[in-house]
Amino acid sequence: MSEIKKIKNLKEFSTSADRFEGANLLCPGCAHSIIVREILNATNDDLVLSASTGCLEVCTAVYPYTSWDASWIHIGFENSSTAIAGAESMYNALKTKGRLKQPDRNPKFIAFGGDGASYDIGFQWISGCMERNHNMMYVVLDNEVYANTGGQRSSSTPIGSSATTSPSGSISYGEKMNKKDMMGIMAAHNIPYTAQVAPNKWKDMVKKIQKGFATEGSVFINAVSPCTTEWKFDPKDTMMLTDLSTDSLVFPLYEVIDGKEWNITYRPKNVVPVEEYLAAQGRFKHLFKDEYKYLIKEWQERVDENWAYLQRREEARV
Amino acid sequence: MAKKGWDEFEIGAMLRSFDGSIDDIAGTRQEDRTYSENNSYKASVADWRLIKPVFNKDYCIDCQFCWIYCPDVSIIARDKKMIGIDMDHCKGCGICVEVCPTNPKSLLMFPEQAEDEAEIASWPKKDEEEA
Repeated sequence: MSEIKKIKNLKEFSTSADRFEGANLLCPGCAHSIIVREILNATNDDLVLSASTGCLEVCTAVYPYTSWDASWIHIGFENSSTAIAGAESMYNALKTKGRLKQPDRNPKFIAFGGDGASYDIGFQWISGCMERNHNMMYVVLDNEVYANTGGQRSSSTPIGSSATTSPSGSISYGEKMNKKDMMGIMAAHNIPYTAQVAPNKWKDMVKKIQKGFATEGSVFINAVSPCTTEWKFDPKDTMMLTDLSTDSLVFPLYEVIDGKEWNITYRPKNVVPVEEYLAAQGRFKHLFKDEYKYLIKEWQERVDENWAYLQRREEARV
Repeated sequence: MAKKGWDEFEIGAMLRSFDGSIDDIAGTRQEDRTYSENNSYKASVADWRLIKPVFNKDYCIDCQFCWIYCPDVSIIARDKKMIGIDMDHCKGCGICVEVCPTNPKSLLMFPEQAEDEAEIASWPKKDEEEA
């Protein structure tokens, strides 16, 4: 069962039997479940899953219901990563002692966390797991805000965004801090595989996830997850927003192997101005007032700079 | 299933997704699984919907964009064909309609009370300008 699942095209992919169930309580149009489905369907192997407190956890495990057709655990806000690392260590110990009942099965260990649980609260725990190089995958569902508790800013919230703890108004343009470069930090742990993915590029995503599964050691995945409630757009536009985020290079899709080999995996044919990405969301509405218009220019410059930086890293191979 | 009161919750609960054991879940389709009462598959969120998608299979090209982008596992695809919508789990977000590439679209949103047959009979014709 350990061979890589063959997924040549979407028709072939659609024969997968989902291990994530409907009637969870995620908002209509939430990208979280799209990402989770794409990840879980990328393998036929057994799954050992955990989720940090956050939208995904509170919405898929509402007592007395569970939406997971696999072993799944929730402990605390910060330790989905360590829970899975513990399970993985136990699995390895039992394997060494020859006490596994079905040693030919090859389970995959995946931890899910929101950006609040990963960028802020569980940061130290994830760092520890990556440093010890457990054979696990950590997936961040990055919606750039604490959406579950009412839209407070996290360290993933980008500059200029209006969050409930950094609201925009006559004296403030909202969030003042820039987004933490989590991908860079995780790549600096020199773990075997780090990648940024987006649900709209499903083929790129499945390829990266399968590569992650085939890797021995820690894998860190950052997935962009547009939030209809906090980014303030119509639920039907989730995929349009994801397209905008990847095509405007706000979320460039790339992978880092062993912390050294940086590969850009998606280069948009037509790069969309960042202004279009900002204009599609209610949380950036105030940036289009005259007094805050300079921030849009800064946004564009920052995104261009980051793209140039990624290309330099890709070329330099260091 | 009967809802428990706030003081009847168990401390640290374990819920089983299935009755009995399924050896190969990834190879078992939803209709063949023995879901337990605790699986949210047995629940319904149909009452969340104000608008619902209606599927017209005459125009469908089985591209499966709706299947991959459905957040609620509500597009039923079997043998590489899109065969219908799971109306118990659909929340009416409308992503499937947005990502449908055919002209006219083979999925459209209608008010919850609309009759499927009547809407399919009066389905919009091909939009030349868009093509």
